[in-house]
Amino acid sequence: MKQMAGKIFFTAISVLYPVIVYCGYRYWGLSPRRLSLMLLALAFYHFLNFTRSKSQVERGRTGIFVVLVLVCALVAFFADNILFVKFYPVLVNLSLLSFFGFTLWKPPSFAFRMASLHDKSLEKSPSFKAVERYCRNVTVGWCIFFIVNGSIATFTVFVGSDKIWSLYNGLISYILIGLIFMVEYLVRKMVQSKMQSYVPVCDLELDSRPNGALVSFDAGADAANVGGAVAGNRTWGDFVSDVSKVRYYLEARENTPWILHCEDSYFFTVALIAMLQSGRKALVTANRQEAFIKEIKKPEYGFLTDEPFAGDDSATMIQDVLAGTASGECVEEKCAPLKFGKFDKSKAEMVMYTSGTTGEPKAVYKLFLQFENELFELVKVFGNDWVNRKVYSTVNHHHIYGLLFTALLPIATGLPFRRHRIDFPTELANIAGETAVIASSPAFLKRLSAETDKAIGFKCPPIIYSSGGPLPEDVARKASELTGYWPMEIYGSTETGGIAYRQSKNGPVWKPFEVCKMCLAENGCLNIKSSYILEADGFTTGDLADLYDDGRFLLKGRSDSIVKIEEKRISLPEVENRLKQTGLVQDVRVVPMVGKRQYLAAAIVLNDAGREKFAGAPKLAVNNFFHDYLLKFIENTVSPKKWRYLEELPQNTEGKIRMRDIQALFGLAESPNFKILKFRREPGVLTAKILFPATSDYFDGHFPEFKLLPAVVQVDMVLRLARNFLDVPKDLSKMNRTRFANPILPDVPVMVKISYDADAGKVTFAFTSVDGETSFSNGSMIMQTSVATVAGAGENRE
Amino acid sequence: MSDLNTRIKEVIIESLELEDITPADIVDSAPIFGKNAAGEGLGLDSIDALELGIAIKENFGVTFSTVKEETKKHFASVNALADYISANSKG
Repeated sequence: MKQMAGKIFFTAISVLYPVIVYCGYRYWGLSPRRLSLMLLALAFYHFLNFTRSKSQVERGRTGIFVVLVLVCALVAFFADNILFVKFYPVLVNLSLLSFFGFTLWKPPSFAFRMASLHDKSLEKSPSFKAVERYCRNVTVGWCIFFIVNGSIATFTVFVGSDKIWSLYNGLISYILIGLIFMVEYLVRKMVQSKMQSYVPVCDLELDSRPNGALVSFDAGADAANVGGAVAGNRTWGDFVSDVSKVRYYLEARENTPWILHCEDSYFFTVALIAMLQSGRKALVTANRQEAFIKEIKKPEYGFLTDEPFAGDDSATMIQDVLAGTASGECVEEKCAPLKFGKFDKSKAEMVMYTSGTTGEPKAVYKLFLQFENELFELVKVFGNDWVNRKVYSTVNHHHIYGLLFTALLPIATGLPFRRHRIDFPTELANIAGETAVIASSPAFLKRLSAETDKAIGFKCPPIIYSSGGPLPEDVARKASELTGYWPMEIYGSTETGGIAYRQSKNGPVWKPFEVCKMCLAENGCLNIKSSYILEADGFTTGDLADLYDDGRFLLKGRSDSIVKIEEKRISLPEVENRLKQTGLVQDVRVVPMVGKRQYLAAAIVLNDAGREKFAGAPKLAVNNFFHDYLLKFIENTVSPKKWRYLEELPQNTEGKIRMRDIQALFGLAESPNFKILKFRREPGVLTAKILFPATSDYFDGHFPEFKLLPAVVQVDMVLRLARNFLDVPKDLSKMNRTRFANPILPDVPVMVKISYDADAGKVTFAFTSVDGETSFSNGSMIMQTSVATVAGAGENRE
Repeated sequence: MSDLNTRIKEVIIESLELEDITPADIVDSAPIFGKNAAGEGLGLDSIDALELGIAIKENFGVTFSTVKEETKKHFASVNALADYISANSKG
């Protein structure tokens, strides 16, 4: 208490010092000698502070200050000189300058120390770095002020009158200090509005955002204006109340886990947050094919979706839950109070499904903790670029990248997100007036750069992310010409989350997120440990890499692109690149095959030069050309043994070329009687373009002068294709009615579409002309399915 | 073209599951493994050699010497193979 009183007393003296000195000297007739006693008292007070200071540096600093004050006091006393009495304000400035300056040299800066005393959570915030930078600037500002102010104070000691000295040091400098505080406060408010208002998803509460804050919007064609508000818009108030309704619904039921599929990003986010907060495990699936849902769903599971689902009447429509019309819905009064609040991120569970590029879709178990940690990292690295932007997406939010960027990040940072995906590159022109973040993918950006010639003319360049596969540099460049932003690529996977990022204009090297610790596994593949990977020894990817000392890395292809053919290692991309080097190949995939022996097989799309060169040449000659060319670089054993020449390579619905589709093509032995020109395999459906050459045996014997493809050959063809590509059982049980409308002629390509319903064992087919105008034949047949084949029928489904 | 030569070519194509090639495409005097200066030859590799050796044994009932150089000579071309088979065939 006593100490407190002393502190206040001496602080008052220190502050009023110029006024007291002036009045004492001018009006009260006090001599400099007497006034110097006050200075001596101050020196004593600072000495007490010195004895109390803890750190070595602090002692040194206050020590010097005390000595200087003491010297001034003694000189003033003995010389009876007012000049030295007037020096005190200068010394105070010097002392403060040394103090602030020292914290710049040894951070954290003074302003930051103050700020973190105020807000203990600061050090754990993703904007930590930005705040630190800001505080440093503030501290530098103060140092400059002390230098200027100290100089003026010195000036007034020597030059000005006593009155001016007193006026400046006793009033004006205080006013200046006040002004600086005010300006800094205003600047801080401004800077804060430019910093991310991030709240971890698991910590969101009713009042985390203002009720009127926009959460989600819809610029779709059907978003009508209703009473000034756009119909599709949802605010924080709507969001909280919708989550609450879904929670009441979920918590009134025993079902768990819940399968979740909602096309609308808003419904999806509402449902997911409700499941997390209610402690219901969420199975997030992009695939809502009947067969797939049937495969993963057990009787106790719930299924929440926003589109009618034919396959299962136990599916719950989220629209019904929100409207209160779902069976056993929550009645209004039971829905109060609002259920919305924190949940335990280390207990909330989710399951994601991989997109199945390299194999069947795989379920990946996740704790929400993993996502939360990754969100934090993303906000830390990218957060400040997002302020005041709107979030758009061209990717599916049921996969990890879409989930993070287009659902969870907007919710955690308060950025509004659009409810529906951008499906077509042309739609970008509609949002040119917006300040946007666009989560996109190589597939979309490739289409964008192929279909667009003129710059889109964004008012403010959007921030574009790309993930899901490597983005070719020329596509990235074109995208940047069109949009004004060079897409930021994120490298990661369902299992690992985001690992690293790059903009290919700065080179092909990836910079890992700070929390990701990289190393190479024994097989040369990248291994990652991070706060969002649960396995203690990290996760080893299938990607080969070169790792640099600073943790950055270069990707060198997938490890499964290196295969062993009869004990010889060969990189598939290498063979593909050699084939492209001929200048005759537009696209090519080389795949490993296993028959009596292991061998490689190549599916080639010739370019114009290639088609010209080989026009009319027998296939064997073309094979030999490529084979001979390859033997200059690679051993005979690893040179492809089988070849197919297509019009285009088969892509799945996600635009990916799958190894197993190419392998299936080689599963059907090449025959001089028919040629597959192109094909596409989707779950249970094959479409193929086929040519029957005039030399084909199929045309023999019927009408030598008018060749046409016999019906029995067509049916046989369908069965062969269906067995090879759709895993249809071998034996035919029953032929249904089949129509043969028009003759199939030699040398005219035809399209055939074959569907297989595994449950019914039914194969349906239709031969049409390539333009689809003419129907040649169609019909269906029933295959002999044993129980075992029905169970295995899901294998081909994606 | 002798029947034996044609039969040998059929065995080569069948046993090695060669595609896009008919017996008529195979030149009797051209190398089976690798190619000659004129660019003729089947261009088969050493793995194929093992497979083909077994197939010839099964189809024509002849065995091959364990001396590598000798065997190599017999497999030099379809003609060479036909000569060896006619000389050693038990049937």
